[in-house]
Amino acid sequence: MMDPVPILGLTIRQFIGGKAIRVVFLFSLVPAIFALIYLIDAGTSTPREFIAGIFQELVAPTLLPIVTLILATNALGNEVEDRTMVYLVLKPISRARIVLEKFAAVVLTATLILWESMLLTYLLAMRGDAGNNIEQLLAIFAAQFVGVLGYGALFMAISLIVPRALLAGLIYSLLWESLFGRFIPGIRLVSVRHYVQSIYVRLLDRPAVSLDEAMNLFPALIVIACLVGATLAIATWRLRTMNLE
Amino acid sequence: MTVPAMPSPPMTGEVRPPASVAPPITENATIVVERLSKWYGDVVAVSDVTFGIDPGVTALLGPNGAGKSTTLEMLTGLLAPSAGTIRLLGKPARGDVSLYRDVGLVPEQETLYPFLTCREFVRLNAVLQKLSDPDAATERALDIVEMLPDADRELRGFSKGMRQRTKVAAALVHDPSILLMDEPLNGTDPLQRARLIDLIIRLGKQGKTVVVSSHILHEVERFADRILVINRGKLAAAGDYHAIRDKIDEHARAVRIRCSDPRRLASELIRDNAIVSMRFEPTLDGTLPSLVIETGDVRSFYRIAPAAARALDVHLYEVSALDDSLASVFAYVVGR
Repeated sequence: MMDPVPILGLTIRQFIGGKAIRVVFLFSLVPAIFALIYLIDAGTSTPREFIAGIFQELVAPTLLPIVTLILATNALGNEVEDRTMVYLVLKPISRARIVLEKFAAVVLTATLILWESMLLTYLLAMRGDAGNNIEQLLAIFAAQFVGVLGYGALFMAISLIVPRALLAGLIYSLLWESLFGRFIPGIRLVSVRHYVQSIYVRLLDRPAVSLDEAMNLFPALIVIACLVGATLAIATWRLRTMNLE
Repeated sequence: MTVPAMPSPPMTGEVRPPASVAPPITENATIVVERLSKWYGDVVAVSDVTFGIDPGVTALLGPNGAGKSTTLEMLTGLLAPSAGTIRLLGKPARGDVSLYRDVGLVPEQETLYPFLTCREFVRLNAVLQKLSDPDAATERALDIVEMLPDADRELRGFSKGMRQRTKVAAALVHDPSILLMDEPLNGTDPLQRARLIDLIIRLGKQGKTVVVSSHILHEVERFADRILVINRGKLAAAGDYHAIRDKIDEHARAVRIRCSDPRRLASELIRDNAIVSMRFEPTLDGTLPSLVIETGDVRSFYRIAPAAARALDVHLYEVSALDDSLASVFAYVVGR
């Protein structure tokens, strides 16, 4: 039986068999731990406010980029580093196909982990009343998916260009987006995080959080689409021209 | 295909002196390398190398760091040359992925996907080669390297030799006409080594172009019709192994003789004009010293020495060439 996407399947098996997935999975449980604490003492915030806060303050700025970063750098960069990439590139298949299948594996895995994390958090915070606020969960799912697309493509390209891609990715997401973005408003326009948060806010009538200068939905989607296209093209070009020693 | 830029005399029986190791490029050459260089900053890994490789088995010889692996990586297109051109089957080695339908590589590095079974790994290569029946091709390749009994074991538990055979199966799964093997005998036990050598010889006889990089000199002698010797990034010699060895015969060779009266035999042999030097080598166990003779005409010496011993009634216990192996060829050509 022919396998139409062998590299996607291979990469997912790499993830499942590797240590990174365990780290990522444990990390993804952090919002659920906050939800448990919320269950014990909800304070004055409603479940809707709690979930919005978790997404805007924890998931979008930290969990989403780091989960995607770990998987994206594993997908391509590690194969280049341990030289198993030679088994893929010395085949009559285009470099673009290798990049796209790897990207699809990253998106699929990261999205499922992030959705599972947010679903668990949502169910705990809603205390069994899950159907009451479902549109908020779906908006978060959509924003997470778009975020995984943007970060995944960006970090895959970085992993082929920078030797210490994990460090470079952490610097980007934690220093550039989180720290500098807080003090220099213009930086948010060149940060994936802002577009992810904008998509969440724009998808809901009552997002329960405020976001300064939130982008409209379609411009945000177009920016992310351009980012994905450009960075995947860079990754393909890089894989085509780099020396695999 | 003829390459007119670098005129060269025929390959058979001819050895090029290192100063002008021109490529023996023939019309049959499936691999044509012209003026190939690779440097990293100030460090030159491969310098202005030109050669052609015909179907059959060719060994790429050289000490560690000589530039063998770099050359092989450039042949496969994994590494871009700093200068020069490489064509495999008339196509550039880099930039045309369709070439990989006809090329297989057994890389030196051992890392495989540890979570795959041997069969899954070979099949993955078959699928990526877009073969019409990857399962049948997988079974055929596993059978060739005799890995069928272990095919369903995960690669993480494999010995070095088993990994080598798995890599060979993966490289052969699409039946390529050019097979490039980087140190394929590393880590194999004697039986596996013998089988791999048989396979290499068989593939060469089938008309495939097999290039084997190695530093295990005595083994190369067993399977390679031709050798390319690379040292310090330069082509030190190219041609038929035996022709190179004959060339060595023109130069001083060392021979050790153990006999019942080395001093008497030495006094007789010193009359031979071809003798360059002579010395006695003490033995560790305190028995009679060995006689080590350097001669400029080793073939003549092998006739003279037994005759002299017989005439003097000296018993010969051992006459051994100190460098009569591919190691001597190698040392000679790289030492120049």
